[in-house]
Amino acid sequence: APTGPTASLGLDEEVKVSRKRQPVAKLDEARLLSSDGIPKLSRTARSKLKFKGKGHEFSDASRLLGFYQLWLDDLFPRVKFSDGLSMIEKLGHSKRIQIKRREWISKGRAGAHLEDNYNQ
Amino acid sequence: EAALLGQNVQVVDPEVRAHVYILVTALGGFNGEDAGRYVLGDDALACLRDIKKWLKLYDEKSNRMDVARCLGEANLVNGDLLPILSLWWESGQNSKHMSRISLACLEILVPLTWPVEVHSQMTVNHHRHTPYLQQAQVLYKRGILSKNMLGILRAVIKIGLPSMAIPKSERTARDEGILKLMLYLFRNIAIISPSTRLAVEGDEEETSRSATINAFHEQDVFALLLTMCSNIGDDFNLVDIIILEILFHLVKGVDVEKLFIDDGQRNVKRVDELGSLLQKESGLKREYAKNAPTRHGRFGTMVWVKRDDQKVSTVSGQDILKDDHWQATLLKMDQSKKWSKPQPQRRQDVESSNNDFNLPTHLTSLAAENLRTFVEELLDSGFNPLFIHVRKAIEREADRVVDANSRQFFYLVAWFLEAERSRRSRRKQQRDRNPRASKDIEPDSFALVAGVLNQETFIFLNRAMQYSFDNKDWQDLNAIMRCFTQILLTIQEMAQSPLEEDREIAENIQNRIFYEETTHDRVLSILRGYKDQGFGYLDACTELSHVFLRMLERYSKQNLDMQVRSRRRSKRQKPAERSTDDNENDNEDHDSEAEELLEVARVTKERKFDFNRFSARFCNQKSVDTFVAFTSFYRELSEEQLKRAHRFFYRVAFKQEMSVLLFRMDIIYLFHGMIKGPSALHSSKSIFNDWEEFVRQLIRRLIKKIEQHPALITELLFSKINSTLFYLEYGYEKQTTSST
Repeated sequence: APTGPTASLGLDEEVKVSRKRQPVAKLDEARLLSSDGIPKLSRTARSKLKFKGKGHEFSDASRLLGFYQLWLDDLFPRVKFSDGLSMIEKLGHSKRIQIKRREWISKGRAGAHLEDNYNQ
Repeated sequence: EAALLGQNVQVVDPEVRAHVYILVTALGGFNGEDAGRYVLGDDALACLRDIKKWLKLYDEKSNRMDVARCLGEANLVNGDLLPILSLWWESGQNSKHMSRISLACLEILVPLTWPVEVHSQMTVNHHRHTPYLQQAQVLYKRGILSKNMLGILRAVIKIGLPSMAIPKSERTARDEGILKLMLYLFRNIAIISPSTRLAVEGDEEETSRSATINAFHEQDVFALLLTMCSNIGDDFNLVDIIILEILFHLVKGVDVEKLFIDDGQRNVKRVDELGSLLQKESGLKREYAKNAPTRHGRFGTMVWVKRDDQKVSTVSGQDILKDDHWQATLLKMDQSKKWSKPQPQRRQDVESSNNDFNLPTHLTSLAAENLRTFVEELLDSGFNPLFIHVRKAIEREADRVVDANSRQFFYLVAWFLEAERSRRSRRKQQRDRNPRASKDIEPDSFALVAGVLNQETFIFLNRAMQYSFDNKDWQDLNAIMRCFTQILLTIQEMAQSPLEEDREIAENIQNRIFYEETTHDRVLSILRGYKDQGFGYLDACTELSHVFLRMLERYSKQNLDMQVRSRRRSKRQKPAERSTDDNENDNEDHDSEAEELLEVARVTKERKFDFNRFSARFCNQKSVDTFVAFTSFYRELSEEQLKRAHRFFYRVAFKQEMSVLLFRMDIIYLFHGMIKGPSALHSSKSIFNDWEEFVRQLIRRLIKKIEQHPALITELLFSKINSTLFYLEYGYEKQTTSST
């Protein structure tokens, strides 16, 4: 091994190139609250979901399930439906999402009130 | 190379091996002239004693298993001990020398058959020898039970008989020791079963539970046990725990209902079972055929699913072109995903291998018959003395009691109570069939099982339940819950008894059980506390809450002025363990109990019981989650279990008007799949209609709710928050807190 002044320059040392792994996409709060997440769900529900009502309960339910499944597939394609549901349910316990949820409901409530007033 | 390496490893010190082999050879053997006959060596008794010393001073003292392994390899049990014992039995001679030799054989047999378990403090030697010894023990058991060895068990009983005949006061410590040895051998035989992890040579049937039961019946072990049980208080009070263990290992996992049906019924049932299995299979096939490709595998159909924003997904296969193509397509899209959420690994309990009662056991019809006879006789004579005695021993924390015993106690109480109920219903059927014969038969009272329906047992049970819940001993809690459930069911039957006295007692007991509000709270918190403790636990806790709730409902309806004692939350520590003094005085016991009552009275008050309020507390997110976890096994559940789940959800959704709790996507997905999915419940089951109707009603409500409150669309993904629950259910804010 060379000794002397050249060694300290570090010319002979190999430069290590460490490649970082591509970060794995996660189903987390940020993704759930992004515009493709829950906002899209409530946005499209009105136009996409049409129920037939009494006597068609099971087909209505499968329509509802399909609606959610396609939404989840768009949001986070690699997860299976039932796994995804349980992951989202777990996220729902976080403080941030709980606050958001309360907001959504009160918004809906305000809307309902407005409608009530309008009807009267 | 690897094989060579393995060959050179000395598992056991060669010198030890040589010593042991010499002893075994010197013990005796089959004679050359008369090859079928075992001839004892000149110094057989001394050899046996030496072997015993080796086991004790080498194996036990230095915590190795080397000698046991050598003895297994030298085939001591099947080659020497058993022939000696049968020689003694057949010759019928009672010389002192021979009976000493047979006793020495028993003294070696017991440690050799002692259960070898995987436990937390194992040395290298343990790891090396355990699998070998487990396999060897199965061979020992086969030798002991085999038909051509006539009556080994009988011979063992004969060893013990002289000691049994002596009255207890005159028995020496040696006599007591012999009795224990005898019973321990029976216990060991009952425990040994072919390990599921190791392949066993030969017929597994010969060492099965059925074979054990049949041998116990033929060779009068059952008769011995019955005698001991019914005299347990007077003559045999030190062997109660061993008998408890024998009983436990005989009946664990045995289905009581199947045991208590007639042969005729059994045949019918078996045919039914076969029929229903075949039907199930053909159902599966039909289900498959519905979606099976109608053309060859390379036909190559592909479908586009048009999505938003001009996106397209592709799905292949012909089955998606069928009638219900929407559901099928979605299902296929889901199934083709490769990634699945990592499942949390359940940690495995190390010590549960022998004490697990969740595995069902199948018995042959002969064994079932034998066991049933034994169980009925035990119920008639020995049940009360044995279980009262054992309970006292456990409460007193006697030296002979180990932790597993209380679990075994509760499991057995549950099992025998269920057996008693099945026997009653069977008798009732027989009586109904020929009413003429029944006129002179008195209706039976419940006195036969009264030993476990007294106040002391309830106190013991409640305390144990709280203790195991606090300490997270889930297996124990599982056994206790089963026990409590069976007690409740027995009392329920007792309340409908034709005997006035029984009805009064039942009323009294119900009053006592339901009087303590802490019991109600405990049942509730157990149900709420489920978190992957396994299916057996899930089954037990849902059954308990089901039975408890229904009985409480009925009882509170009959007794409108029912009172409960509710305890204000006090920081006072409950005395977890009572004094451990062995000769505890009964009077003292009562006194301290009275004191305890007084002290409790300071922080408690009576109040009127309101069933609606209680039932409302049962309907919360956690218990819904527990029942959902239970229902997700719907493919394997029995009708009774499905009914249990159905009643609970019905109560939540329609009786308590809390259907919002069920409005969660995974629950809807599960319910929808149960009725319409590819692995739906079989529609020929009678419970299917109940479920279908329930799910239909629930979905109808859901759809209505979504149309009223669009906010529910997002809320459907989550468990509901308490503050918004009321609004979502009723559509307006809770105005005032209810004051009832």
